[in-house]
Amino acid sequence: VSIYEAAFGFGLVSMSVIAIAAVGFTMQFGITNMINLAYGEVMICSAYVAYYLNRAGFSIWIGMLAGALFGAVFSFLLNRVLYAPFQRKGTSYLGMVIVALAVSLMMANLLLPLVGYFPVSYAENQGRLIQWGGIALTIDQIAIVGIAVVVMLLIHGLLKYTRLGKAMRATSANPTLARNCGIPTQRVIDAVWLITGALCGLAGVVAALNSDSFAVAAGAGYLITILAAAVLGGAGQPYGAMIGAVLIGMITELSAAAWSPNYKEVVAFSILVLVMVLRPQGLLAKRGALAAAG
Amino acid sequence: VNTYYAANLLIYAGVDIIACLALNLQFGVSGIVNFSFIVFQSAGAYAAAVLSMPPDTANGGFQTYIGGYQMPFPIPWIAAAAAGGLLAIPVGLVVLRKLRSDYQAIALLVLSVIANSVITNAVPFLNGAAGLAVVPQPLQDQINPATETYQYVYVALTAVCVVLAFALVARIVNSPYGRTLRAMRDRELAATAIGKNPVRLKMTVFIVGGILAGLSGGILVGFITTWAPSEWLYPETIILFAAVIVGGRGNNLGALLGALLVPVGFEEVTRLMVRLNIGPPGLIPALEWVAIGLLIIGFLWFRPQGVRPEPRHVFEGAPLMEES
Repeated sequence: VSIYEAAFGFGLVSMSVIAIAAVGFTMQFGITNMINLAYGEVMICSAYVAYYLNRAGFSIWIGMLAGALFGAVFSFLLNRVLYAPFQRKGTSYLGMVIVALAVSLMMANLLLPLVGYFPVSYAENQGRLIQWGGIALTIDQIAIVGIAVVVMLLIHGLLKYTRLGKAMRATSANPTLARNCGIPTQRVIDAVWLITGALCGLAGVVAALNSDSFAVAAGAGYLITILAAAVLGGAGQPYGAMIGAVLIGMITELSAAAWSPNYKEVVAFSILVLVMVLRPQGLLAKRGALAAAG
Repeated sequence: VNTYYAANLLIYAGVDIIACLALNLQFGVSGIVNFSFIVFQSAGAYAAAVLSMPPDTANGGFQTYIGGYQMPFPIPWIAAAAAGGLLAIPVGLVVLRKLRSDYQAIALLVLSVIANSVITNAVPFLNGAAGLAVVPQPLQDQINPATETYQYVYVALTAVCVVLAFALVARIVNSPYGRTLRAMRDRELAATAIGKNPVRLKMTVFIVGGILAGLSGGILVGFITTWAPSEWLYPETIILFAAVIVGGRGNNLGALLGALLVPVGFEEVTRLMVRLNIGPPGLIPALEWVAIGLLIIGFLWFRPQGVRPEPRHVFEGAPLMEES
């Protein structure tokens, strides 16, 4: 039984990592209508930014900030330089998905010669092991859970209580109407890419910190877990992504304990398929996947 | 030119042409973004392999796999086509229902990654990451595969399949059925309104494409005699997409041209580059993937219709109208 208690602890950490990543991903989709398939690769790049800072002697927490900053700037530029011009040109949703996939492929293969094929890990003392019943977590893992909780509260506050958040929700619901009401949707979308990019970068560093080692190839795996969480919660719904992250994080860790850790992503995928068959709009969305593609 | 080199080139070209024709039917003509195309090719390759190989105890048991029926030549290729088509049914049933089309694309992408990871981890099924090796070649009991004659025979067999595949897709694309497919791609709601069932149309195209993809896998595995998960990672599908986009979406000749320009062209460039020995190992392949990405983005930006655009289908008696 204690293996399940331990898995529950890992599930808490896992869901925290997924939540940070999935909320960023789903906000990009919900507000800018862009399924950014390069998200996993941006995460990996940020993780490497933190890795090189870490190797240069900075603490991993500084690296985490730098990773978030990198993610924000990179995502902002990615949208400004590539995605937004294509969208303005009237490229279809499907065309945008292909563009994003091409970007993801290019990023992974530009990164490979730079950082090499071999997995690396942060030079970080994982800290004391804290025991609580059968749950044993390192200080770092507890910090990850803490960071996730703080980030989720900040996102909630942003969306609920600030003018920017209100403008984001308006842009998400109906961009044309929002613009006609005097909301500077272009600036809102820039802000969205900066904020979600920061979440993406932070998630990359946190995910790398939580695993023993990471390599460029991990990006695709991140993307699948994030997609599963975002679609499960209802794509484009930040709160849905949080629920999705909790479910996916916990279920994958418990299944790893019960079955085999090799199949974590397969379990995430099975959940994704079940959602697509039974409730394609996800848990929270009113329309989501069922809305016709324009 | 060396016969073996020429045969190798022609057979790869044939396989890529069949694959690109199938993908063009799905993506170019019908608008289904099948990001797991390579999985269907792989299903064909595995099916052909396990049907033609001896039981896994035969080679001293150095690899484990299901099947091993030692079937004679045409059966593995037919089974390869059937495997691709059969796999398309459950996948299509889940993915092609009333999902948004960009959701369909990401679902298929995820499927491609997961299928590869399952086959890699489930070792006894198809020998895991190591993959299958020493797959018997078609007709190897009749003709010695090491001879030049065999190369000619294999090229001829491949050519027959290419011609059949081209005839099939040309027949579909130029028929009223093809017109319905294009109508669905361009305006699904309007096609539904005049009584066409998009789910059924997509399903049919998905299965036909799966059959051709499976056949191409069967041809390939019979020639290279190995098949492993590293052969069918999801970026392989993106090469085929690049080929169809470069060649011309919706145009069969364009797909053929794209197959010769992109997958075959890059294969040859790699061969050349490796011989020139530039940079550290792994740099050239990585940069090639970057080039593929640039090719896709460049074409989508500057010439989205491709080198050979889809012909405009105009009814002769119709009044002339400006294209919207």
